[in-house]
Amino acid sequence: MVTNDFDQRLRDHLEGVTEPAPDVWEGISEGLERRRRKVLFRRFTVAAAAAAAVLALALLVFRGPRDGGQVEAPVQIAQTDPAPAEATQATDIAPIEEQIAALPQQAMAAVRTSRTVAPKATKVVEPVKAARQVEEEPVETTPVVTKPDVSTPTGEPKTEEPQADEPKHLLTEDDLPADYWTREEASEPSHNRTHTSQISILSNLTTVSSDGNLLYIPSASHASSQSGKGQATTDIEPISASNAPKFYVPLTFGLQVAFPLTDRFSVATGVTYSYLVSQYDILYKKVLYEGAYNQLHYVGVPVSLSYHFVQTPHLGVYASVAGAAEKCVGQRYVFGSNVASEKVKGLQWSAKAGIGVEYWFIPHMGIYFDPSLVYFFDNKQPLSIRTQQPLQASFEVGLRFKI
Amino acid sequence: MSGMRKTSTYTEEDLISGCAHGDREAQRILYERYAPVMYPVCVRYLGREDAKDILQEGFLTVFDKIGTYKGEGSFEGWMRKIFVNASLMHIRKVDVLRRTEDIDETPETGGVLEHGVLEQISSREILDLVAGLPVGLRSVFNLFVMEGYSHAEVGALLGITEQSSRSQLSRARSLLQEKIKQLYHGNK
Repeated sequence: MVTNDFDQRLRDHLEGVTEPAPDVWEGISEGLERRRRKVLFRRFTVAAAAAAAVLALALLVFRGPRDGGQVEAPVQIAQTDPAPAEATQATDIAPIEEQIAALPQQAMAAVRTSRTVAPKATKVVEPVKAARQVEEEPVETTPVVTKPDVSTPTGEPKTEEPQADEPKHLLTEDDLPADYWTREEASEPSHNRTHTSQISILSNLTTVSSDGNLLYIPSASHASSQSGKGQATTDIEPISASNAPKFYVPLTFGLQVAFPLTDRFSVATGVTYSYLVSQYDILYKKVLYEGAYNQLHYVGVPVSLSYHFVQTPHLGVYASVAGAAEKCVGQRYVFGSNVASEKVKGLQWSAKAGIGVEYWFIPHMGIYFDPSLVYFFDNKQPLSIRTQQPLQASFEVGLRFKI
Repeated sequence: MSGMRKTSTYTEEDLISGCAHGDREAQRILYERYAPVMYPVCVRYLGREDAKDILQEGFLTVFDKIGTYKGEGSFEGWMRKIFVNASLMHIRKVDVLRRTEDIDETPETGGVLEHGVLEQISSREILDLVAGLPVGLRSVFNLFVMEGYSHAEVGALLGITEQSSRSQLSRARSLLQEKIKQLYHGNK
């Protein structure tokens, strides 16, 4: 029998052959369900990150006039009752600037509130006493600014005072700086401020599309980046064969240090390490290898600017924008029993925006979670999830330490 | 049964469209319609033991990629390519193609097959004979004879030289002819 004839007759036998298949529908159904859940989760996370970014933007843009997080004016501090004698037996009166500095914020707020009620006050609460009253006395009376009684209960000056015949210099409205009542609250120290220099240890997960959903179109940029832009051509070239590339979830770890710029803004920088794994078809020495693994190792330096719009001793919420430059320090292909390494030139640039929440469970240590959107620019880097899906949702979690 | 009626009334276009939209019923009907066709393809490449796994994996890939089918060429042919690729991927995973014993230790026997012998053998028996070939010979035989690839293409797909592809095909033919003869004489 001639060879071609033999082949043809075998083909005729085998081409139309059918036979009952083992029932694998249950496994297929489970696999489909797993993939469906993955797709739903991915869509949800992308939507959540996008919503978070929009919310952060909205908060930044439409934030109303600041009240500075001040404690409401305690209306109870000013009493019409005469002050007890011992309260007036103060030691030497401090200079006015010290009095102002020592004046508790609540008391000053109360004085300020009182001023609006009774614009031309005749008496002023002695600051120290006012502060004590705030702490101790729940008061129901209408706020009225009262003039402290500078004398003893009997009205006689104390003889042991060196200058008992002169009136004591107590804090009055006239002593306050001219701009005191119009001064911006922001310039006052915030008792709730948690915004200090920090060091962070972070890890990062990024969402990827499901296996096979991305169609890879080979481009010159990938090949040229691996060959070093005109240097000796590489032995390995990704090709578009019958299998779509698969991308595994990228992992990032890092260390960052943050410094406050103002009471609301901070800047952070540090170093990160990212590990990316992909699987796609390659040509190696002109031979096709399907499903080769590509491993990329990136070291990067991110710089971020954050705006802290919620700051309490335990909780912080902020919005951030960031940029990063990453250098691929290692690229490795694994296919069959072969392993090949290649150098990668250039930097991977990216931009990021998102919001973050931090929780300080002890004064100097906290955890944080930063969902964000990251965009990886086309910088002629090797094929990876970053080149195929430049816009990604990123979820960074980590520990923060105040330093 | 309503399921049976549905199976018979769905057109191929309906099934493709349903599967592309994730309709589980359409997916099940497509599976039932094509599993008996695709299973022998997997058996030809992998033998009966591994074919079941690849049948499942292949259908998952089909449902994943069915949205990319543009109606060019036959749908069955498009599906078969997926199953062939899945089978080759599996073979590559275990890296059996790099074992040279397939080539070196397979004696070239064969000889001329008498006229009419092949007609006495059933398709299922031939399928089992092909599935029983050493993996390297089986892969080359399937790609060259059944899928119509050239030796250069077979070499590229399997990571072997063109000459090696020719050599393995020759050995595969010889081995098959020998086994067919034995089967024929055994059946007589």
